[in-house]
Amino acid sequence: MEAPQYVAARVQRALAEDDRTHELGIRVDVRGDQLFLRGQVTGEEHRRQMERVAQEAAPELHVHNELQVVQVREPGEDEHLD
Amino acid sequence: MSILTELRIAAVGDVHLGDDVQGKYRARLTGIEDRADVLLLAGDLTRHGTIAEGRLVGQEFRDLPVPVVAVLGNHDYHSDLQYEIMSELRDNGIIVLDDESAVITCRGARLGVVGGKGFGGGFAGKCASEFGEREIKNFVHHTRGIADSWQRALKELDTDYKVVLSHYSPVKETLEGEPLEIYPFLGSYLLAEAVDTVGADLILHGHAHKGAEKGMTPGGIRVRNVALPVLGRAYGIYCLSESDSC
Ligand SMILES: [Fe+2]
Ligand SMILES: [Fe+2]
Repeated sequence: MEAPQYVAARVQRALAEDDRTHELGIRVDVRGDQLFLRGQVTGEEHRRQMERVAQEAAPELHVHNELQVVQVREPGEDEHLD
Repeated sequence: MSILTELRIAAVGDVHLGDDVQGKYRARLTGIEDRADVLLLAGDLTRHGTIAEGRLVGQEFRDLPVPVVAVLGNHDYHSDLQYEIMSELRDNGIIVLDDESAVITCRGARLGVVGGKGFGGGFAGKCASEFGEREIKNFVHHTRGIADSWQRALKELDTDYKVVLSHYSPVKETLEGEPLEIYPFLGSYLLAEAVDTVGADLILHGHAHKGAEKGMTPGGIRVRNVALPVLGRAYGIYCLSESDSC
């Protein structure tokens, strides 16, 4: 059986290199037959694509999409630099 | 004309725009002219660096009531269409810096912005050097070339304020939260060293989505990581006050 670290690395590489995602800095963890995606992306559709690409790269695993869509709040306080 | 005593800089990076968020970011820019004098974009404006995304970015940031200055990030280079994306942005009235400077006049004060994408290599004591295989030499040489051109551009500027706009980070502090193992791919101390040599009021960067907002160069220049996931708000606002005002 393939070591879980290699599976996670393969999924991470797919997320970075696949034309549909190109997302770096996503945390991928494999525990048994479960795969967890964690981190932040900029849109809902993008979030779903990430799950799709991860699932294709590890078809035998159950994917948990724990990615969050970045919330853009109103600009806050000014910072005064002096 | 009122003379500025304070220059208000709005900045954000890593907006990574795609079809699914079109128009959403723009909505957050309403009223920016009441809050800031200029908007700086710190790269990774697209996801895949395609022309279509470049056009989307152009539309999202065009015709704003404040001048917009941008640099690109590594994502914007991915499809080898960085120059096409730059012209797309310029066609929409955005000033794009590719290792060069621009001077903007804001209500009587002159702001010089120097910058470009920047690059990696790591931080003093734990970094790559121009030694060994050609591939490693090229990597470090690329960063060194960028740092040199920023230093030159800064030296030539004679403005009231000087700000450096980068995608990659010049310091480690604003990377805190990122895995240590990838620091060399997130920035280079050569960028900070170049700016410290000449001096500037502020350095802005993005790229490190999990990093921290605030840091400082060894020379004491304030550094702000304005990556959207770090800020969690539409943009940060940094006010510079004239040190030698009478
Ligand atoms: Fe980014
Ligand atoms: Fe980046």
